[in-house]
Amino acid sequence: MSNFLQFTVFGIMLGAGYAIAATGLVVTYTTSGVFNFAQGAVGMIAAFGYWELVAAHHVPVLAALVIVLILGASIAGAFVERVLMRRLHGASAERPVMVTLGLMVILTGMATIIWSPTTQRTVEPMVSGQFRLVGINIQDQYVLIIAVAVAVAIGLRALFYSTRTGYALRAVVDDPDLLGMSGVSPNRMSQYGWILGFMMAALSGVLLAPIQTTGISIEAMTLLVVSGYAAAIVGRLKNIPLTFAAAIAIGLAENYILNYVEPHLSSALQTDVTSALPMVFLFLALVTLPSVRLRAVGRLTSMKAPRVASGRESLIAGGVFLVIAVVIGLAFANTDVKGTTLLTLGGMVMTLGIVGLSLVLLTGYSGQVSLCQFSFMGIGAFVMGKVAGGGSVIGLVGATAICAAVGALIALPTIRLSDLYLALATFAFADAVATGFFADGRIYGAGGLSIGRIVLPGLSLGGDAAEFIMVTIFFVLSAWLVLAIRRSLFGRRLVAVNDSPAAYATVGLNIGFTKVAVFAIAAGMAGLAGALYGTVQQIVGTTDFDLFPGIIFVLFVTVWSIRTVSGAFLAALTYVALNQISPSGIGIFAGIGVILIGRAANGILGIDAIHFQLPWVKAPAGLPDPDGPLTAFGGATTGSEGFRAAG
Amino acid sequence: MPQAETTPAPTATGTHVLTVEGVAVRFGGVAALSDANLSVEAGTVTGLIGPNGAGKTTLFNVISGLQTPDRGTVHLHDTDITRMKPHRRAKLGLARTFQRLELFGTLSAGENVQVGLESSVKWWQWRHMRRAFPWVREGVPVDGGVPVGTPTGPGSLAVVTSDRLLDGVGLGGLGAEQASAMPTGLARMVELARALAMAPKILLLDEPGSGLDDAESQALGELLTTLAKGGMGVLLVEHDMELVMRICDYIYVLDFGDVIASGTPEEIRRDPVVQAAYLGAVADPHADEVAQGAATTDVGAVPAPDGQDVGHEDGRGDDEVTTA
Repeated sequence: MSNFLQFTVFGIMLGAGYAIAATGLVVTYTTSGVFNFAQGAVGMIAAFGYWELVAAHHVPVLAALVIVLILGASIAGAFVERVLMRRLHGASAERPVMVTLGLMVILTGMATIIWSPTTQRTVEPMVSGQFRLVGINIQDQYVLIIAVAVAVAIGLRALFYSTRTGYALRAVVDDPDLLGMSGVSPNRMSQYGWILGFMMAALSGVLLAPIQTTGISIEAMTLLVVSGYAAAIVGRLKNIPLTFAAAIAIGLAENYILNYVEPHLSSALQTDVTSALPMVFLFLALVTLPSVRLRAVGRLTSMKAPRVASGRESLIAGGVFLVIAVVIGLAFANTDVKGTTLLTLGGMVMTLGIVGLSLVLLTGYSGQVSLCQFSFMGIGAFVMGKVAGGGSVIGLVGATAICAAVGALIALPTIRLSDLYLALATFAFADAVATGFFADGRIYGAGGLSIGRIVLPGLSLGGDAAEFIMVTIFFVLSAWLVLAIRRSLFGRRLVAVNDSPAAYATVGLNIGFTKVAVFAIAAGMAGLAGALYGTVQQIVGTTDFDLFPGIIFVLFVTVWSIRTVSGAFLAALTYVALNQISPSGIGIFAGIGVILIGRAANGILGIDAIHFQLPWVKAPAGLPDPDGPLTAFGGATTGSEGFRAAG
Repeated sequence: MPQAETTPAPTATGTHVLTVEGVAVRFGGVAALSDANLSVEAGTVTGLIGPNGAGKTTLFNVISGLQTPDRGTVHLHDTDITRMKPHRRAKLGLARTFQRLELFGTLSAGENVQVGLESSVKWWQWRHMRRAFPWVREGVPVDGGVPVGTPTGPGSLAVVTSDRLLDGVGLGGLGAEQASAMPTGLARMVELARALAMAPKILLLDEPGSGLDDAESQALGELLTTLAKGGMGVLLVEHDMELVMRICDYIYVLDFGDVIASGTPEEIRRDPVVQAAYLGAVADPHADEVAQGAATTDVGAVPAPDGQDVGHEDGRGDDEVTTA
């Protein structure tokens, strides 16, 4: 019984920590409409900053808290709102997701440079000591965390529902223009929301850091608040009391499972469960949400879509690309870059290029964000290595088919929700697979999983050159396939479902089917890329398909252009090159890139000054005369927009 | 609210293509629709008018499946579609346009129409599109710009047919233009062409005249009349009262979620209850003069009697869904 009470108190304390982070997420979302994926990274930076001040520089605890929570978090929150988020107003829906992910990888990248991951850092509790109650020992730090969480929840509730500022904070997302007309600056309200959100994130990081018995680590602290994500989802990203209750329930469930279930599992499984549990909670929270109501939002995207190459153009361009790639590849066949042959690196570019193409199809055309394409790569590589002894065409087919099926299974429960939730589900899936599956020594083996080169009857593909040519052909075929899909009836539907889901449904098309179908196709392509990646590398390890590299790659595709084949290729090239030059700084490059690109929907390649200089881009035809005649309507010109009062 | 004695809804073909009975929708404490009843006959243009916030767009959303009613039923012919998903209703022959444009903005005008044309084609059946095209399959015999029979000429069937549909709504030669780059008036016609591409049995139009000048509005009226003569049922929400009074066979007046009057345009013009709803005044000896004035006034500029808007669940007026 005393054990149960002990676990319960610890669970409540853990849940209280999650609750602070989760309410911060809710505050930011309520006031800006943006889900801050960097919430955990902000908490991590705060925890490390607090450690730096207290442990390394012996600053008094109270002063350190003021510096980290009051000064640091508020200045950072205000800065992020003003410099990063405000300029995204009117950007495509996936862009705020990308920018907060960019912020996350920048913060983790900076932390890795500043605080060496190999050094162990332990944060002392802010209040030491313990007391005994109903037969169990309770640490003062636990009480502090619970008390702070309760105070935060009550304080935020009072702020939002009993003050003028609170009403303005809630109103700013509904209608910022209307709020502005009532004399309140919507930008300032949004900034307050980000400041509060950052302070909550920092508070949770600082409070939870001392209970990390093995010391604080960058990745663990960044992902510690993922359980907070789940709580915020249960609270529908708007209900603070429900979020708080869900966070406590998740803390309790996590602690009970760790103490009652895990001891009965094998040691390998124990690690899997511990690592994957927060993501499992997040996934469960997502699938239990009710469907969102389809509504007409009067949104008319003004983005100029990149021109889609015709079948003839794509065949010619693909052929030219193939020839150039093969010539360059063979010319530098024996060149090594940091111990890796150029052909191997080129093969990696081509396989990652296929992953980029899957993102063009999924995110660029249909507007869905997936953060787990690397997970499908990993599954594809696994299937390739296990089927028919590895190096078999059957393995390629199996990898594609299995990943497509897994993709459909992931998409099915979340497809009825908004695209943000799909991004969260893929985030959860990517980390759960990386920590609970790929990290398991029995999956890839201690030394990694060996995957042989593909063997075709009468054709040797064993050499590096043959392998490079083969994966280049696969890339060209994939590019041709993506463009062919875009030109097809299905391609029009992908774009249409992104532009206006309400109109899509009312012309008789099934949104759910379309979204699941494209997600499955994109997953299959990523699985194929993973299988090919395995044949290029010939051995894949446990960290090849982690969450963070996957996110960084998505950011690079966004930076170059997530709507074009060229963007996918250049993203792959950039990723492989920077990974060779500066593996620890690659996240910072990706994050800064996506922040700089801001709201430019078509990335670097979509910027007119660059776009029209590309040799394969045709100059645009003259734009239509906006006042052109409606010929069947008596040749009358169109009246000025809105000359007649509408609705 | 008592209703004036009016003519029953006319039956051009004697067929109820759409029937709405006792529909109620509440957003929190606000009743957007209390007890809405109406029917639309095949081959007629039926008007649905009312002040801002009366619940017109909410009723359109209920009919098209974007809003589930708290109670009441919607029938398309004899099929109860009240709980049916929007895309299934569309397949049964229900098409609509939106007050605020809901175009596929990154597609061209022609592609917008092609999506409507191809909506009945399974995406893996692209080789069989010719057979599946509604216009070809059903050969809707409508003139006035809307295609008749099998299209001919260069290009794919979808392209040719979409060009012809765009011609029909006055957008000849603009099929390649990106929809989001078009002015509002033209974009509304793209939406109309997309809806027509589905060969609908019932067409819901939410303020199609907004953004059109007088000549275009006149042409729109002629097109809608022609479509109705071809057998289509048209339900029209419009603030341009001159257009409504000119082309509608029957009109329903909605206010605060209730149908407060219905009848022929002439009956509606003289209805004192309608006058009160629009102008915030009780009927007086000069009602006829006032009515005539209302009929030629853009009632969109006239506020609701007490200045209130019926809200969406997000607090917005139902006709004022804002740009996200």
